[in-house]
Amino acid sequence: MAIRILLVDDHPIVRQGLRTLLQGRGDWEVVGEASDGVEAVEKVDRLQPDVVVLDVTMPRMNGLEACRAIQQKHKNAGPEVLFVTQHDSPQMMREALDAGARGYVVKSNAARDLLEAVESVSQHRVFTALARASQVSS
Amino acid sequence: MKLRILLADDHEIVRRGLCALLQKREGWEVCGEASDGREAVEMAKKLKPDVVIVDIGMPSLNGLDTTRQLMAHDPHFKVIVLTITDSDQVIREALDAGARGFVLKSDAARDLVSAVEALQSKRMFFTPRVNDLVLAGFLDKGHVVARNQPPSLPTLTVREREITQLLAEGKSSKEVATLLNLSTKTVETHRSNIMRKLSLHSIRDLVVYAIKNNIIQIQMPEPARAGAETTVA
Repeated sequence: MAIRILLVDDHPIVRQGLRTLLQGRGDWEVVGEASDGVEAVEKVDRLQPDVVVLDVTMPRMNGLEACRAIQQKHKNAGPEVLFVTQHDSPQMMREALDAGARGYVVKSNAARDLLEAVESVSQHRVFTALARASQVSS
Repeated sequence: MKLRILLADDHEIVRRGLCALLQKREGWEVCGEASDGREAVEMAKKLKPDVVIVDIGMPSLNGLDTTRQLMAHDPHFKVIVLTITDSDQVIREALDAGARGFVLKSDAARDLVSAVEALQSKRMFFTPRVNDLVLAGFLDKGHVVARNQPPSLPTLTVREREITQLLAEGKSSKEVATLLNLSTKTVETHRSNIMRKLSLHSIRDLVVYAIKNNIIQIQMPEPARAGAETTVA
């Protein structure tokens, strides 16, 4: 299934790494990149991605705020949000899901979890994976 | 002949990004990837790369000690340190360790290629905002850093620094012994020496010391304020 993806992280080198991983799936397309939450919200409006891969800690507007803004603006018609973050903590994961995210992956394991997570959230299934375990549910 | 680069970073996602960036350059190849400092040292000895790029905040053996071990093995190694912080203490330690390039991770996409080119031409490279700090340090005859920061790790040997990091990461003496191919008794002796030299009285003190002196880096659990300093490592 073709999936249109927006990458959001303030570190270009991480965006490049994520992009390289996603290129493994020929039918998926990275439609844009953003380096903070404000830019992410604006690019969701403009590019209408299916999945937003979102960092938590960013300048100007952090990922949680951006996620809430996207959810508020687009209600059920918006993209699914997948957090890819350094925060390997259940509390942060809970906050992310409460903000409306469908998925949560820890950066140190992104190479292992990212493709499966994008696939899951694009099908509206929850994917959460802290560093030591992964869990998928509907 | 190709320029061969060894990458050491504990995050595969960052290594992927760095690889993609470096391999765009014709004639450059990433000849190896290491996920911690110990692996980087072993790979560098074996692969003899032209340039080694090391992250500072790696588990098991941090980037500064990796650089020290590389330079001790062969002072011709050209090392670029990647870091999330531009504190003058870290810059000084990186230079003292023998690094000849210093690039902030946030600027890596912009600066890393220039850094590799500089080292290839036997020049040094510092991320521009670091350059100012280094220059200020030289203009003040090196006393800027010394005045602002306590001298770090004044008396520890390379082996003691390694053991300090491993203990601070939560490993037992037995685990450290296994990792370093030493007897538990030898590790215990090192541990006693470390505690005595640094006037520390508990593992808690040791952890605090390791954090303060950039031997280990911790991930802050408190999140997500917009504008907060970011950490990739």
